Amino acid sequence: MHELSLVQGLFSQVRVVAKENNAQKVLRVLVEIGPFSGVVVDSFCFAFDALKKGDKLLQDAVLEIKTPPAGFRCPNCLWEEEPNEANKKNTDTDEMFSSALGMLTKTCCPHCGEEGLLPLGSDDILLLQIEME
Amino acid sequence: MCDTCGCQSVHDHDIKLVEINRSLLEANNALAEKNRHHIEALGAVAVNLISSPGAGKTTLLEKTAEMLAESLDFAVIEGDIETERDAERIRAKGIPAVQLTTGGACHLDAKLVHKGIHLLEAQLADSRPQILFIENVGNLVCPATFDLGEHKRVVMVSVPEGSDKPAKYPRAFLGSDLFIITKIDLLEYFDFSIDEAVKCAKLVNPDIKTIALSAKTGQGMDQWMNYLTKLTKTD
Repeated sequence: MHELSLVQGLFSQVRVVAKENNAQKVLRVLVEIGPFSGVVVDSFCFAFDALKKGDKLLQDAVLEIKTPPAGFRCPNCLWEEEPNEANKKNTDTDEMFSSALGMLTKTCCPHCGEEGLLPLGSDDILLLQIEME
Repeated sequence: MCDTCGCQSVHDHDIKLVEINRSLLEANNALAEKNRHHIEALGAVAVNLISSPGAGKTTLLEKTAEMLAESLDFAVIEGDIETERDAERIRAKGIPAVQLTTGGACHLDAKLVHKGIHLLEAQLADSRPQILFIENVGNLVCPATFDLGEHKRVVMVSVPEGSDKPAKYPRAFLGSDLFIITKIDLLEYFDFSIDEAVKCAKLVNPDIKTIALSAKTGQGMDQWMNYLTKLTKTD
C-alpha cells in the first residue's frame, strides 16, 4: 500500500502550488499513472479520498487519473507494439486485475516467438494539473 | 448569495488551472540523489536489499560479516516496521548498524535513509565503510518504487518461497541489478527450480545478474563475496 505514501507526496506538492497561487480550495487534481509504475489505481483513489478528509484545502478536490497504455518491444527481432488502448491498465473491478508489468513475463513476441518483451511506457507517476480557486 | 461557497455576498470565484507535469516521486528522488552524494563522500557504495520477510537478508549480512570482516569494512542501515532486533544482530557481529523503524510503513524512503546516514555517522566516528548495506522493510512490492540513494539494488528470493516469485512480483526485479536466490541448502525439500526463477527474472529484466547461495552452509557465498569485492573496486 505504498499508494498512501505517494498520495502524501502529491498533497505536499499541491499545498506548495496552492500557496504560490494564493488558492483557498483545490477543485481538481489530474494525475498520470504510468503503465509500468506498479501503482494500483483503485488504491491510489482510496488513499486520496482517505487523506483529503478534514483537510480544508483538499476536502472537496476531485481526483482525475490518466492511465496511458503500455507498449512492448521484442529484444530479439526488435518488433514493436506501439502503446495502444488494449494494453491499458485495467481499472474495471468486475474483471481480474492485470498489469502491463505482468505481461512482460506472459507474452511472447508475435513476430519471432521470443519469450519476454521489453516495456515501452512510463514507470512514473506524474502530477499534471491542478484546478483551484 | 454566492452559489459556489454559500457566503452571503456576491463575488467572483477565480478558478485557476495550473499545469505542473512533475513526478510524485520528485521529492523522494531529489533526496535520494543527495543521499547518494553523501554516501560517496563517506567513500562508500550503497546496496539496497529488497525481499519478502524471512528471505534471509539479515542472515546474509551476518554471514558476510563473518566471512569478510578482515578484508572489507561495511556498515548497515536496517529498516523494519518495529524493533531494534536486526541492528542488534548485526552489531553482535562487530559491524556498525543503525535501526530505522517505520512504525507501520511498508517500505523505506529517501528521507528516512537520510536520517539513518546521520545516525550512522555518529556511530562510525573515524572509521570509513566501503559498503553501506540498506536492508529494506521485508516486502517484495512497495520498496521497489522508492530510490533510497543506493548504487546497486539487490532483490532476494528464498527457496521456500517458490520459483514463481519473479513472475508474480515483476516490479522488484525490473529495477534490480542482482537477484540472489537464498537458502539453497533447502532445495531438496522444496519444488524450487533455479532455472525457472532465473528465467522469469531475466524475462522482466534481461540485464539482471544472478547468484544462488546458502548463508547457512556457505555454498555460493564466494560469488557474493566476489560481487562485493568488485563493487568496492569499480565504483
